[in-house]
Amino acid sequence: MGKIMQQPRPQANQPRRVRTVNTDRQLGVIRFSPCGRFLAGGGYDATVRRWDYTEAALNALPNLTGHRGWVQALAFHPDQRRLFTADSWGEVRVWNHTERQPNASRTIAAHDGWVRDLAVSADGRTLATCGRDRKVCLWSTQTGNKLHELTAHTDDVFAVAFHPNNQKLVSGDLRGNVYEWDVANGRRGRTFDARSLFGVQRLNDVGGARRLVFDAAGRSLAVAGGRPGTSGSVPTILLFDFAAARLQHTVSVGAATDGFVFDLAFHTAGYLIAVTSGTPGTGKFFLHRPGEQAPYFVSTAMPNCHSLAVHPSGQRLFVAATNAGSNGNGRPLRNGTYPGNTSPLHLWELPRATP
Amino acid sequence: MKPNPCNPIDHRLSRRQWLGTSAGAALGMLGVCRPGVAQQLRQRRKQVLFIWLDGGMSQLESWDPKPNTQFGGPFRSIETAVPGIRISELMPRTARQMRHLALIRSVHTQDNSHSAGVARIQRGDPSNRGVTYPYFGSAVAKLLGPGESGLPPYIWVKPGNGGFITQDAGFLGPRYGALALGDGRPPANFLRPDTLTAQDDQERNDLRRLLDRRYAAGRRSAGTDANSYVYEMAAQLQRNANLFDSRSLPARDVERYGSSDFGRHMLLARRLLEAGVTFVKVNSYGWDTHGDNFNAHHTMVPKVDQAFAAMIEDLAQRSMLDNVLVVMMSEFGRTPRINGDVGRDHWPEAWSVVMAGSGIRRGIVVGQTNALGTFVQADEHDIGHLFHTWFTALGINTARTRYDNNGQPLPIAHDECRPVRALLA
Repeated sequence: MGKIMQQPRPQANQPRRVRTVNTDRQLGVIRFSPCGRFLAGGGYDATVRRWDYTEAALNALPNLTGHRGWVQALAFHPDQRRLFTADSWGEVRVWNHTERQPNASRTIAAHDGWVRDLAVSADGRTLATCGRDRKVCLWSTQTGNKLHELTAHTDDVFAVAFHPNNQKLVSGDLRGNVYEWDVANGRRGRTFDARSLFGVQRLNDVGGARRLVFDAAGRSLAVAGGRPGTSGSVPTILLFDFAAARLQHTVSVGAATDGFVFDLAFHTAGYLIAVTSGTPGTGKFFLHRPGEQAPYFVSTAMPNCHSLAVHPSGQRLFVAATNAGSNGNGRPLRNGTYPGNTSPLHLWELPRATP
Repeated sequence: MKPNPCNPIDHRLSRRQWLGTSAGAALGMLGVCRPGVAQQLRQRRKQVLFIWLDGGMSQLESWDPKPNTQFGGPFRSIETAVPGIRISELMPRTARQMRHLALIRSVHTQDNSHSAGVARIQRGDPSNRGVTYPYFGSAVAKLLGPGESGLPPYIWVKPGNGGFITQDAGFLGPRYGALALGDGRPPANFLRPDTLTAQDDQERNDLRRLLDRRYAAGRRSAGTDANSYVYEMAAQLQRNANLFDSRSLPARDVERYGSSDFGRHMLLARRLLEAGVTFVKVNSYGWDTHGDNFNAHHTMVPKVDQAFAAMIEDLAQRSMLDNVLVVMMSEFGRTPRINGDVGRDHWPEAWSVVMAGSGIRRGIVVGQTNALGTFVQADEHDIGHLFHTWFTALGINTARTRYDNNGQPLPIAHDECRPVRALLA
């Protein structure tokens, strides 16, 4: 159980930080279960963290163990029982997360190396995964069998997302190429050009389409990452009209030191919620009305925000950020030991409608 | 310290003088002066390829992986051609060349800043004697001389601008600086224009030399020497213009080394070594990955892996690894701790250096870090130990050889360090 710090109440119609729960490790992804009772997180230590969530508390459940490498992608199945998690060694595991101490019910050798993202279709029938082997794979959630292996990307594939109609999938890569796929037959469809999210800095290929999210109606596709300059990158979201495959709007927030949009979600009220992480200590949490030039709410109170999980009620969300003072050259011994960093979980109340 | 009668001398730097002194310089290292040995040394001249990954490559994403540990990062380790030695999965080609390589995982240096660290490392971090020591390249240029190639002894292939970089030379004087080939290109306007005949060019240079001599008379200094040297160097490069003609490169080599800047520069470095350049340095920038370390290494390390493995393979196939010392390193490693920007900061406490070739044992690992990769277990090795090791591997006796700084004898490496014997063949 983490330490809870109560926060002061801010102005009305603004998101309000309710409390902070500390963790003992760094988390790269957090997600709420569809029922809203469970929060799950994956991070840099191969464990999957779980919490039992109530409005009053976040109670830790036993970790899910067995992965190796980083766990940066996880998704709940709509059946309320299954949790899919993926690691950086290429493995996908399926858990009955409602059990107190479950073992993985299925293990899939999904990719050669880092599984960057996974998604479960809204009808629960299909699992999509993607990774550093440049492949996108579709799997039956029922049998675990591979349905299609999609191979058009020429670089690391960072993100996948199902269209709410279950018929289409999109995948985005390092170069900012976003491809549409037919889920039933695996055929490639249209291309969404997000190459403005890619750049070359010396020997380094920087950026990419790092997160893909549809709005609830499937009309808008948000492609998130950063717009690289000669150094650093500006957190950026490209909003596409999905039917027309046309870029409608570009949202850039901050400066080249602000890095990337690490995670985002559409609120059911229509606004976008996003978190960013840049140079150590730099992080933004912002709310944005599509079509406007700038976010209407930006918080810089949380350093280096890496993930967000919106509660199904739409009333609250958690942001996984980073402890203060996370960086430093040389030997920062603390009480004779070498310390790691952690990901405090910040709970926010959200406006129920677009203010 | 008893003076060594055959200490390396100040080499004259006209081509004729280079030819005349290179054998003597090499003999100086061994302290012998027999003609038969000179002939042998000419045939087996030592050279150096020094690859500098500026900013600090992560040891955890390269030579000393700690997969599935708190600070180990997302990548796996893989087997190499030497059973029991594993390196990052980002270096599969290099893994196949491991039988030629020596890794030291116990490097512990003193400086965690770039501004001081780069020079401190490349100068070997000697004891402070109130003088500025030469970079490794200038030191080797001085100690081994230019050889018979007619090419400058110290060439630096780097991204960005080129020029003649005198700062590297320290107290040795500017003539031992580096000729930097910006983006691997020869100095601007160095080729004789078609409108100028060879005879006219010769006459112009003769006139320039005459004026140089008159100017230098009575005010001879390291600066005037270096000025003349640069012109001679340019003339020598003109005679080797084919080195820079990328059209003559086999397509297969271009493919093997990769199309990145680093790949192109490494291929040029191979050609320079083949042409007989004593010391070739290749720089890659952008390794200061305080942010997005893992994606950065995921794109950068494979490019280094490709070119480095191709280089080792080529040097081995050409039997050049017997004579060429290869070193690849940075000014420090990177922190085990992963910061909020998913980056790693500067870490001189425990990092790795790879080397191969002349005088170096092959297919070994020396030293180790603890399970989390945070600190060195057992003996730590500073850059001074590595300088002793490399000089020894080049046949230079670090106990006996001294620089002569205007009459002041100076050790060529930190006098409290010694060679790492386990690295030496």
